[in-house]
Amino acid sequence: MSILISNDTKVLVLGITGKSGSLQTKIMKEYGTNIVAGITPGKGGMEVEGIPVYDFVSEVIENHQIDAAISFVPPQFSKDSCLEIIENNIKFFVITAEGIPDHDVVEILQYANLKGTKILGPGSAGIIAPGKCKIGAHPPRMYIKGNIGIVSKSGALSYEIGKTLSENSIGQSTVVAIGGGPLWGLKQTDILPMFEADDETRTIVMLGEIGGTMEEDAAEVIKKLISKPVIALIVGKYAPKGKSLGHAGAIIEGNLGTVESKVDALRNAGAYIAEDSLDIIRLIKQIEGK
Amino acid sequence: MKLYEFQGKEIFKEYGIPIQSGNLIYPHDSLDHLSPPLVLKSQVLVGGRGKAGGIKLWDGSKDIKKMIEDLFRLKIKNEKVKAILALNKVDILRELYLSVTFNKSKSTSVIIAGISGGVDIEKVAQGYKKQIYFVPFNSLLGISDFQIRFITKKLKIEDLAGFKKIVVSIYQIFQEYDALLVEINPLAITPKGLIAIDSKIELDDQAHFRHQDLFQKLLKEIQAVSGDDLITTKSVDDTITYIPLSGNIGLVSDGAGTGLLTLDLLAKYGGKVANFCELGGITSPEVVYKALKKVHQDPNVKSVLVVLIGGFNRMDEMAEGIVKFYQESPMKIPLFIRMCGTKEEEGKKLMDDAHIPIDDNLHEAVKKAVQKAMEN
Repeated sequence: MSILISNDTKVLVLGITGKSGSLQTKIMKEYGTNIVAGITPGKGGMEVEGIPVYDFVSEVIENHQIDAAISFVPPQFSKDSCLEIIENNIKFFVITAEGIPDHDVVEILQYANLKGTKILGPGSAGIIAPGKCKIGAHPPRMYIKGNIGIVSKSGALSYEIGKTLSENSIGQSTVVAIGGGPLWGLKQTDILPMFEADDETRTIVMLGEIGGTMEEDAAEVIKKLISKPVIALIVGKYAPKGKSLGHAGAIIEGNLGTVESKVDALRNAGAYIAEDSLDIIRLIKQIEGK
Repeated sequence: MKLYEFQGKEIFKEYGIPIQSGNLIYPHDSLDHLSPPLVLKSQVLVGGRGKAGGIKLWDGSKDIKKMIEDLFRLKIKNEKVKAILALNKVDILRELYLSVTFNKSKSTSVIIAGISGGVDIEKVAQGYKKQIYFVPFNSLLGISDFQIRFITKKLKIEDLAGFKKIVVSIYQIFQEYDALLVEINPLAITPKGLIAIDSKIELDDQAHFRHQDLFQKLLKEIQAVSGDDLITTKSVDDTITYIPLSGNIGLVSDGAGTGLLTLDLLAKYGGKVANFCELGGITSPEVVYKALKKVHQDPNVKSVLVVLIGGFNRMDEMAEGIVKFYQESPMKIPLFIRMCGTKEEEGKKLMDDAHIPIDDNLHEAVKKAVQKAMEN
């Protein structure tokens, strides 16, 4: 199995008629993703890549089974369209938009939590189970089927590491990009236990970056719940120091958030620390005895 | 967008939060109407102004004109003082801390309340966790009475009604202004009741689209005080982030994650970065064209590295922007491009036709850029 998606996941695309939405729909469909319907308000009755377009999610639900949805709706209109997806009890939802106001994001996430919708994003590049299905923007040629589970904040970094692994003939079970934050639906702490439970995943690669406390939280989960090997790469060691967020930010984060604090926490939790992208290959070979 | 104290207090007043009465003073304003005792507070957007000498008490013994002039000469963390808020002094019995913000790692809203406020609140948070209370609440439901009663008890506040009014008001400001932070530090207990001695409000630039008139008005006030036209709210279309540094390699990347990885790799291979330009996830030929122009403006740049890996971002569009730049400005500075991802075949063809070489491997491209910067 892969995590969150599989061969026969039935997918709904929001904003399917837009420039980015229609291109990504075409690429996803060519990859083999089972896209059954799309939404663009006011364009119900159209077709995109042979896929029927509806005005409302409730109209889709009357005609199709939907397991997952992805949104290409711009940030100004995101809250309304996200609430419509959650209201219709769709279980897994990828939000790609960046720049949604924080108040909207918190309301979307809290409503999703109440209704049991798992949200990937906002600002997520999506998820790919190589050879099976992809919901999002992961470029297909970067991935081959295998046993490494990857969870990344950044989409681009998850393409980069997928590419590096595939070029070294190391395949992946599922690759997940959770989004750059600062607010998230599914986090590293949620994805790690999914990889632990997934029998197709042998080793987990976690890609993090400076800022926030998410990697420190992930270290706690690794220590308590994860028996599979975890390789962590934290980028941004040589990045210029960021500005502080004022009193409230400083209070919440204290001294956490540097590469050093993240690496310390992860090493203490038993994770292998990679220095850069190629170092991940060395560690995988070392762990898997190749 | 961060607001000045005086702007925050105008909003406080509108929402019924008690503040001291006072006047805003600009350089060369008449001081004749002022009478002691007054607290003179420099209006700056950075923190730590009290410790930097930006707050003075005028008790009538010194010359007010001289005190005001001295404050206007002050620079606090590189920010010149251009306005002073003169407030009637109040007797403070005890100082508290109160704010509403997001707890980002938990994706909830949170009220933060401290039993002692003031300038060292961060130290209090790190050293005395017990004295700070984090009360998370659901944005769909708002703050409940029991949460306010809990804070009132923990902070040993007697005036429940007065405190409740303040908590409800900062929550309303937080919601209605799309604020990221509404902070009162300190919130003073005085013989006349609770008074907000300071205000710190930060608004979410991403929400500009639904508060156009309001945000524009506040921004104009900020520019009038700071005299700085550079302080602008980020528009959603303007996705470029530009960070000037001190080395000699210009870096353009189309994602924060790969940008950070590339910074680390440049350091690993001995390179020093002159500037870092991040394009954001979805971009256009114009954006990469502008980014290339920007990194080339730095006279220290000896080589330029462009790292592109497209998901949403299309390599045909990136190539279009790069080719346009290349053809308009004959290359004096060596340019190294790593290009792959969505629409890469179309992108590579455009680059081939323009005779611009590209790499597929990130490490190789980084090594070449570093080597060239060292040669020149």
